[in-house]
Amino acid sequence: MVNRMVLQNIMHRPVRTAVSILAVAIEVGMVMLVVGLTTGLLNESAKRVEGVGADVLVQPPGASFFFGLTQAPMPIKIADRLAEIPRVGGVAPALFQFNSTGGLNLIYGIDMESFNRVTGGFVYHSGGPFEQPYDILVDDWYAKANHVKVGQNLSFLNHSFRVAGIVEHGKGARLFIPLKTAQEMSGALDKASIFFVKCTDPGYTDQVITSIHQLLPRYQILSVKEYMSLMSSNNLPAMRAFLTVMILVAVVIGFLVIFLSMYTTITERTREIGILKSLGASKTYIIEAILREAGLLAVIGVLAGIAGTWFARKVILASFPTLSIDLTIEWAGRAALLAMVGSLIGAFYPALRAAQLDPVDALSYE
Amino acid sequence: MEPIIATQDLKKVFRLGKVQVPALRGVDLIVQEGEFLAVVGPSGCGKSTLLHILGGLTNPTSGHVLVDGNDFITMNDADRTRFRRHKIGFVFQRFNLLPTLTARQNIAIAQHIQGNGFNPHRFDAVADMLGIREKLNHKPFAMSGGEQQRVAIARAVICEPKILLADEPTGNLDTENSQIVLNMLRALNRSFRQTILMITHNPEAAAVADRVVRMRDGRVVSD
Repeated sequence: MVNRMVLQNIMHRPVRTAVSILAVAIEVGMVMLVVGLTTGLLNESAKRVEGVGADVLVQPPGASFFFGLTQAPMPIKIADRLAEIPRVGGVAPALFQFNSTGGLNLIYGIDMESFNRVTGGFVYHSGGPFEQPYDILVDDWYAKANHVKVGQNLSFLNHSFRVAGIVEHGKGARLFIPLKTAQEMSGALDKASIFFVKCTDPGYTDQVITSIHQLLPRYQILSVKEYMSLMSSNNLPAMRAFLTVMILVAVVIGFLVIFLSMYTTITERTREIGILKSLGASKTYIIEAILREAGLLAVIGVLAGIAGTWFARKVILASFPTLSIDLTIEWAGRAALLAMVGSLIGAFYPALRAAQLDPVDALSYE
Repeated sequence: MEPIIATQDLKKVFRLGKVQVPALRGVDLIVQEGEFLAVVGPSGCGKSTLLHILGGLTNPTSGHVLVDGNDFITMNDADRTRFRRHKIGFVFQRFNLLPTLTARQNIAIAQHIQGNGFNPHRFDAVADMLGIREKLNHKPFAMSGGEQQRVAIARAVICEPKILLADEPTGNLDTENSQIVLNMLRALNRSFRQTILMITHNPEAAAVADRVVRMRDGRVVSD
């Protein structure tokens, strides 16, 4: 009977119902999308580094494993010393350039020969390797998202680059320029930001890392496996704080809308609450009825939010193919739980207030 | 025989800011089980306050009030709510049906709140007696005032309350519907020995009762 009354109440005010459901759906969608985008960005970035094919990453002391954040170059001569270490099959230096005009892009300055040795070489969708100092290679996702064609000029870092080739994605960055050009542009002659080290066999990784530690004691040396495990928002304090803030904002929005919705509802239904009280409805009965209504709104909102998020993901990826959004059942569950709890807490005070209404005052409410 | 309602020196004072407004100034009233009592008096004489106290909707300031052997003075809000759920039925001047529910649901919710579940036999009997079978699937906005009041009476008596408290039940009805409602109250009283306490301004309505009590300035002035 209470369920029927709750259902009738929800249908009686379609606009209020729609707004409440929308708020919960936005809350759920916001949590899922923000987390999905963050983890998607990290996972995709990690996969691209894994895709280089190296077994060990060597970075200067104090460098961040989040490549875009530091450029701290090292002398390129180190590459020769790394190559002399037993079981090392190849060393590819790269200099990072972070481009912020027309979007955020990490550009690898690479030495094509050594990079090909470590990676096994690019797969070209069209065009070919660098021919001139100001040539650039772009991956297929970037080319698709920006409608880039071979021979076209692109402007990066205040320089114009000719697109020499479009390559298969998944080898570190989306954009590659010659190492020498990157060094000249950043004034870091004979320097590199990272060395990708390939072992003759992946089973020698630990042995090679030990040798590199002896050679470069203060340097940051990570196996690619270790790097992959570090690439999560939990290891990036700023990212974690960002996620926490975004989730909190989403929960507060859902909480406030449900609070306001139920508060308005009980004001509007004061007389009806008085009627229920005159029939002998207990405080618990009234609280339960209001919480059920909020709960039902939240459930519908959660379902709409989850469905909407999957739809939004499709739309976003169609518009921005270089983005990666990892939606997981786990986070759908967490977002649903947050929305449910937020909604019920939001409805609790109005429910309590309704239960405490004086029946005589409530019955005379106009 | 023990009276079903007994009040002695019943007082109720409302506080409006710093001002104290006495609504009942010492009401002594005895109502026997099965009696149909009409309380009449001018506006502001305390009739509705008396009804609210007898129905457990509000507590008195002082005095004694025994309803079906229960002393309201010693009962807390939860106890009075429980008492109201099982022993009292209300009929209001403005019908007070839940607007989102059908007539059937408006009646059934009283049974649901009482907690004894839906009793189809009792439901059918009440619906037939009040002549609302055709309107059971209608919502209040689709019913006339008279029909709404009959549904309200059905809701009030569906749980077989000891006392039916009616607050100006014909106040919003035309003459014809007023007569129908009064006849129904009379029939309930006669057929089921339903104790009824009805507040009214209308002398014709009061005339259907067994006994008429007049109030003025918060006191019973004639019985």
